[in-house]
Amino acid sequence: MNTLQLTLGPVLFYWSRDDILRFYSEAADWPLETIYLGEAVCSRRQQLRGQDWIALGKELAESGRRVVLSSLALIESESDLRRLRKLVENGELQLEANDLGAARLAQQQGRPFVAGHHLNIYNADTLALLQSLGARRWIPPVEMDRDTLAAVLQQFSRTGQPIETELFAWGRLPLALSARCFTARHYNLSKDDCQFRCLEHPDGLRLNTREQQAFLTINGIQTMSDGCHSLLPHLAAIAAMGVQALRISPQWQHTAQVIAGYQQAIQALHSPLHTDIDLAPYADSRLVDGYWRGEAGIAALGETHHAHS
Amino acid sequence: MPATRPLPELVCPAGSLPALKAAVDNGADTVYLGLKNDTNARNFAGLNFDDRTAREGIRYAHQHERKVLLAINTYAQGGDISRWHRAIDEGAELGVDAIILADIGLMEYARRRYPALRLHMSVQSSATNYEAINLAQELFDIRRAVLPRVLTLDQVKQVIDHTRVEIEVFGFGSLCVMVEGRCLLSSYATGESPNSHGVCSPAKFVRWEHGSQALGARLNGILIDEYQQGEAAGYPTLCKGRFEVEGDTYYALEEPTSLNVMAMLPQIIDIGVAAIKVEGRQRSPAYVAQVTRTLREALDAAGREPQRFSVKPGWTQALSKLAEGQQQTLGAYNRPWK
Amino acid sequence: MRIPELTLPAAMASLLGRLPATPPCWALVTTLNQLKKRDILPADMSLLAGHSFEVHVQDAGLRLGFCADEQHFKVASVGTAPDLRLSANLADFARMMLREEDPDTLFFNRKLIIEGDTELGLIVKNLLDSVDWSSTPLQRFMAV
Repeated sequence: MNTLQLTLGPVLFYWSRDDILRFYSEAADWPLETIYLGEAVCSRRQQLRGQDWIALGKELAESGRRVVLSSLALIESESDLRRLRKLVENGELQLEANDLGAARLAQQQGRPFVAGHHLNIYNADTLALLQSLGARRWIPPVEMDRDTLAAVLQQFSRTGQPIETELFAWGRLPLALSARCFTARHYNLSKDDCQFRCLEHPDGLRLNTREQQAFLTINGIQTMSDGCHSLLPHLAAIAAMGVQALRISPQWQHTAQVIAGYQQAIQALHSPLHTDIDLAPYADSRLVDGYWRGEAGIAALGETHHAHS
Repeated sequence: MPATRPLPELVCPAGSLPALKAAVDNGADTVYLGLKNDTNARNFAGLNFDDRTAREGIRYAHQHERKVLLAINTYAQGGDISRWHRAIDEGAELGVDAIILADIGLMEYARRRYPALRLHMSVQSSATNYEAINLAQELFDIRRAVLPRVLTLDQVKQVIDHTRVEIEVFGFGSLCVMVEGRCLLSSYATGESPNSHGVCSPAKFVRWEHGSQALGARLNGILIDEYQQGEAAGYPTLCKGRFEVEGDTYYALEEPTSLNVMAMLPQIIDIGVAAIKVEGRQRSPAYVAQVTRTLREALDAAGREPQRFSVKPGWTQALSKLAEGQQQTLGAYNRPWK
Repeated sequence: MRIPELTLPAAMASLLGRLPATPPCWALVTTLNQLKKRDILPADMSLLAGHSFEVHVQDAGLRLGFCADEQHFKVASVGTAPDLRLSANLADFARMMLREEDPDTLFFNRKLIIEGDTELGLIVKNLLDSVDWSSTPLQRFMAV
């Protein structure tokens, strides 16, 4: 059984430049194998520009961390492409391709990349294809359940060309992207004049049903789960499957505690001592793991959520 | 220049043989369909084609010199993806004019096994920029890409100007507010998504509650919306529900609205769009007939006299009756919508 | 043929409502079985078997109950909650059957009410949509 590593996903919310820099100065000391940096959600978010992210990345890399630059997931305009090219051509840091166009640019530069979860890799053939383009690691779609993942990894192992697998292990699930900005919509603003209201919601805006069930999170053009996805109860099975890394998605508070908790749980996998780690106090919503268990993603830890049957 | 542009192909949906015939009879250039399983993104019970109806449909379309496309637009799942391979084999064997694929792994299979088979890149591939499209072109020689409903008309033009691949855009139908292929809301609520199961907000999870005051629509127990007496109802598609955000209850993501690009047809023709697609394989032959007939008329009018083109009230009336929520929008093609 | 916008008068409904529903129901079931036998109704009975249905013609005050097994449609008593109930006025049912109107459109406009098992409703809707009337004498009445 290999030892699971922890990674820090890109900050999916819009934080101020000062908050971002403060966050990463702290993150430099956390037990992380890889730090993903960059704006993956909205092209209008420019508190840090491409060059700033690259500079920050190089700084963090000097302190011995592996740093990967995450591309935007929705690339629409020529200016989005220009920024993407700059990221790819930074000459040093790897790219996390969250769009096929990004994968193409990395391939053209002959640079290895990480195939992000937005690339929709659901089977071994597609994984092998991305590997042939230069992917060295992949993140399965967040909706993929453990049985499907096990089958993909088993099938893929027959190619004899190992690839690293990283799972989205903690945080609000990134579920959907749109051309529309739902935060701007909430404030009756147009997207082009959004006044960057996302800055006021460092963990997004909660969306409830009409009977006050917390359901989703609005984060600009992205829709996320309200529930906080947690794979903590499943680490032993995950490690046995041959997964290398677990991604912790940054949240406004307590990211350090979450990482410490995961680190402790990983260490406990190799020790006979029983540990009981509870991360619920560090999430500001219900913990869910339905996706991993082949259920609705909203299903809470241990709960079945098939109301129709 | 506009006069020399060929008219875009009118690509219409068929969930059944009568719908296919309705599309052909009413002026579709091309009809797209899916097989009766989870290899297509309208995997609804009782919908779609088996071998017999597919053969009959293709024969009918080809007899009338129209084309048939087979949509295999879900992502092949897990270790055993033979179902998707068989669907491609079947399409090739049936003699469809092209196969619409979302999964690049399947594009690779189709290209390797059937070098002469024409391949289209599905909207579910989420290809919103020319780099993504050109990658699929270089690797698999795809001939056409269907753009997600998120780009402005200028952005569509930008794509067209930078690729040899034909570009197809959506012209009418229910509006996906999310980037196709990048939306997991349905599986978050039910465990089944368009990518994995070929369904969005699937009917088996839908419960209508007929209360004394209101009609409630639930998806796997989650209240998506409530309708007062006399208020138009909508299918409880997750993104089109009414929710509460910071004390306001409203269509937090999107109103139940239909896309209708009729007003933009001259510009769409002018920038060189190769095909206009109508959404709705899940809709009835009546819908297919009415939408096809109306768009055929409008498209022909726009092609004849692009300068003098205006939307006829009769067309708007015909389409608005069929529209979900009976509101229509130019969608992302029109910047203010964003 | 266009079906005029009309609703049966309330008196008719109360009159028809008091008549026994069995003859029209028997006629409906016989028709369904005939259509199925002649391969006009391409019904996958495995999707319908074991379920009960009710067609409620509101303005006629008529409730037609039937059920399905692996082979046939059968008359069933109305009263217990069916697995699926479709309610609409006669003119709207006729529009839907003759493809003058899209069932989704009727539903969005609250003219067609679907109660019970939503997926079963979808199966029935898709079944009606997949009937190729061009091979039957009904063809000349069809809007499509």
